[in-house]
Amino acid sequence: MSERSEQLREKAKRAGRPRLSVVWMIYAREMMDQLRDRRTLFTIAVLPILLYPLVGMLLMQIAQFTQQHPTSICIVGTDHLIGDVPPLVKTETFVDGLTDNDERLELLCYTWNGVGRHDGVLNQAKNVKETTNNWVRDGIFDAVLVIPPKFADPQARSSDQEASMQLLYNVASDQSMVARDRLTGILSKWQSGWVRQRLETTGIDISLLAPFKLADIDIAPERTREAAFWSKLLPFIMLVWAMTGAFYPAIDLVAGEKERGTLETLLCSPALRSEIVWGKLGAVTTFSMMTAILNAGSMLVTSSFVFKQMGVGGGQVGSPPMVPMLWLLVALVPLSALFSALALAVAAMARSSKEGQYYLMPLMMVTLPLVLLPMLPGTTLTAGTSLIPVTGMFLMVRSLVEGQYAHALMYLPIVAAVTAGCLWLAVTWARRQFEDEAVLFGGGDQWELSQWVRHLWRDRQRAATPTQAFSCGAIILVALFFGKLVVTEMPTTFAGIAKLVMMPQIGMILAPTLMMATVLTTSLKHSLRIRLSNPLTLPIAVVFGICLHPTYVMLAGLVSYAYPISEQATAAMKPFTDQISSAPLMSVIFLMAVVPAICEELAFRGFIFGGLVRNRGKLRAIFVTAIMFGISHGVLQQSICATFMGLLLGYLALKTGSVLPGILIHMTNNTLSVSLERIAQSTHPAAQALVSSTGGGPEYNLVWVIASVAIASMCLFYFIRLPSVDEDAKADLVGNEEEFADPTAALSPA
Amino acid sequence: MIHVQHLTKTYDDLSRGKFVAVDRISFSVQPGEIFGLLGPNGAGKTTVLRILSTVLSSTSGIATVAGFDVSADPAEVRKRIGFVSNNTAIYDRMTAWEMVEYFGRLHGMPKKELTDRVETLFEQLRMNEFRDTPGAKMSTGMKQKVSIARAMVHDPPVLIFDEATLGLDVLVARNLLSVIRDLRESGKCLIFSTHIMSEVERLCDRIAIMHRGKILDSGTLSELRSRHSENDFEELFFGLLSNHESAENNELAHDVGAGI
Repeated sequence: MSERSEQLREKAKRAGRPRLSVVWMIYAREMMDQLRDRRTLFTIAVLPILLYPLVGMLLMQIAQFTQQHPTSICIVGTDHLIGDVPPLVKTETFVDGLTDNDERLELLCYTWNGVGRHDGVLNQAKNVKETTNNWVRDGIFDAVLVIPPKFADPQARSSDQEASMQLLYNVASDQSMVARDRLTGILSKWQSGWVRQRLETTGIDISLLAPFKLADIDIAPERTREAAFWSKLLPFIMLVWAMTGAFYPAIDLVAGEKERGTLETLLCSPALRSEIVWGKLGAVTTFSMMTAILNAGSMLVTSSFVFKQMGVGGGQVGSPPMVPMLWLLVALVPLSALFSALALAVAAMARSSKEGQYYLMPLMMVTLPLVLLPMLPGTTLTAGTSLIPVTGMFLMVRSLVEGQYAHALMYLPIVAAVTAGCLWLAVTWARRQFEDEAVLFGGGDQWELSQWVRHLWRDRQRAATPTQAFSCGAIILVALFFGKLVVTEMPTTFAGIAKLVMMPQIGMILAPTLMMATVLTTSLKHSLRIRLSNPLTLPIAVVFGICLHPTYVMLAGLVSYAYPISEQATAAMKPFTDQISSAPLMSVIFLMAVVPAICEELAFRGFIFGGLVRNRGKLRAIFVTAIMFGISHGVLQQSICATFMGLLLGYLALKTGSVLPGILIHMTNNTLSVSLERIAQSTHPAAQALVSSTGGGPEYNLVWVIASVAIASMCLFYFIRLPSVDEDAKADLVGNEEEFADPTAALSPA
Repeated sequence: MIHVQHLTKTYDDLSRGKFVAVDRISFSVQPGEIFGLLGPNGAGKTTVLRILSTVLSSTSGIATVAGFDVSADPAEVRKRIGFVSNNTAIYDRMTAWEMVEYFGRLHGMPKKELTDRVETLFEQLRMNEFRDTPGAKMSTGMKQKVSIARAMVHDPPVLIFDEATLGLDVLVARNLLSVIRDLRESGKCLIFSTHIMSEVERLCDRIAIMHRGKILDSGTLSELRSRHSENDFEELFFGLLSNHESAENNELAHDVGAGI
């Protein structure tokens, strides 16, 4: 009997496993289909090959045009350069040694009275001013230097405002700014020559003026210097193209097929959904990579040629080193696959190709920051940045391209794990989309606001739907973000701090949760998961909370070691911590432990968890709530700790099926955090046995740390051993009572 | 060959709330038989056929095809059916030959056998003159033939036609109907949905009349005629539909009257 069931299970397992031959068949067909499409071929192959050389040619034309335009400068009032003034200009040029004499410079000199109309000496100053202003504004000259009559007077020259030379330029014109820079350079050279001359006449040794010489030397090897430019630009170009290259085939292969009805035909064939997804994913990834490689390659060849011709960057930007660039190709494979899986999942939501196009922008908006982040100056590969998807991979490639192999390899495991994790999530999402018939066939009717509102009200259920849970989390996070902008300074009174804590907790976390739970569900208690299935869990939760705290403190210490809190931030928090440590303990506990525990847990482990856990979303519920909980803390160091804590709290919420143990653990943990210092100072023997006060603040005694870990593990073991609360059974219950009001709950196969 | 029992499918609909597309229907189809599913648009015919072809899952009830449960063994079911839908879905950038061959390969047919089979089908359905024409350039009739060849390539015991004659001209539609009759002769189990009564009258061995997700009555043509003592099939059909509608409306009025 058992043997037979074993066989059946094995057979079922084999039946569900994608067969490579079928995946290949689908892949080959999709590739052929796309390659026969003129539009696809044009975008991925013809466009890059033609586009970049064309743009390059255009650039060179423009460059030639701008190079032919020399800098034109006018000096008005050369007749005032008299007396002890050293020579500045010869006829129509500056005196030798002042100009950088590598580029062309046109100089025109006027005497004071040689400008404009002559209405008498009094008006001449105004006349010059007007005329020269017009010259610069209209671009007749890029810059004008005006030497007023008083300049001729050696006494007035150094003190009188009216005697100062005036340099007129126009910040709106690049040409004018260049002219200004050059003119400033010339004048400062002229000035220092003048100073030298003066000192010499007074008999001072002019070597005093330069006590030392400075030579700046770039020690970066030739390769790095060249790579520095390309290693930033090229991955960016490649990733953007990989994204676009994935998107259009994805739309055609899913939304387009849906529109033409061929997807249904394919779904009736013996090909499994997973085989269809893998085949299509392979095709989209191939196109994404081809687009990226062709575009980057074409751009590389064209631009290095153009740069060489134009001499941009003073020869710094040569052709890129080719061999290290191969690293880019290695990194492109997983990133292309990631973008492709995302594009496939997103495109599955669209009913037609046209609708699919609308989804490109949001997808770009989400992924582009990850690509832009490494472009920011100062972003390097560290433990922190390596954890960010896409960004980490990008930075690692940069290290590899620059030849820092040891550094890159050190972070390889993290980057690889993060990338693999993201890839897995994206592929799982895409696969789920293909298994969801509401996604594949649903949504025929027109969406209408009033109908939707009525539907929300009419089809309320006992717990939130996953969509409602996601929206609630998003609302909370957005509200917190704007709430933070409102707070401009740290309050200095306890009342102010109380307001500062209560406002986001009650107004931005609890209020939206309660509001959504009241309006969108039929049972407040059920949707917030306030239930008690096992009374023993509550005292154990308190014990767990107490014993977990030393571990939590260690974690927090570890995090602030890895990501040190800036002194600035500590200083900004000073009034806050001061107030907390001096206020009455009970008020502090209420404010810092009771209120946050209740508000945050009801929101994250209550309403949101309850929505996300439905339809077998156990892992989704735990991870998403933990991440949202982490983000809601705002400060990076706190967010990391909170995310870890959120994972644990989420797991307990899943095992106990209730929000209450979470509230208790959260409350205990926060209570201990805010009162640890006072416990350390207390003379009670029990307190002294556990906590001791050290110079760096209160610390748990080692014995207690070890003991607490042991007890905490036992508590955790207790929770692990608890019979799982069947969330789906509950969802089914909801389904029976409300008769399939939730589309996804009803549609999931029995 | 096909057994359907208390099959129910509900959707969540924005305007109507919970919407029962298929309401506890039961029927069975034997090999060598053409079963007609007759009903107006939106009666739930396509939903039933999609559940049978495993692309949709049922909410409750049982459906088996060739001995395999559609929700427990979808892969086995898909191996044994051929599905022809109303929108003649074929790939634009594949030729007739490639298209049929592709689906044959997806069914895991050996190369030699597949080539022979496709040759036979192309001969049988007179498709040789457009075997290298890409889908985008085919006429509706050609497309429909490719669809049928695609559905028959693995010689399935069960064939499902979902409003297959929709949008076809008389010539092509007649041709299709004769193909379907030939298939019955060769012992296939056929299920055929339509809203055109004359097709049902000419073709089907047994008929189920569907309306608003329910089967109102089923049986052979003569059974239905004698049961409702109505010789004109069109009259019979409309009579059933309007009776059902007025009964449903009465029920609704009764519900409202009772204050529900």
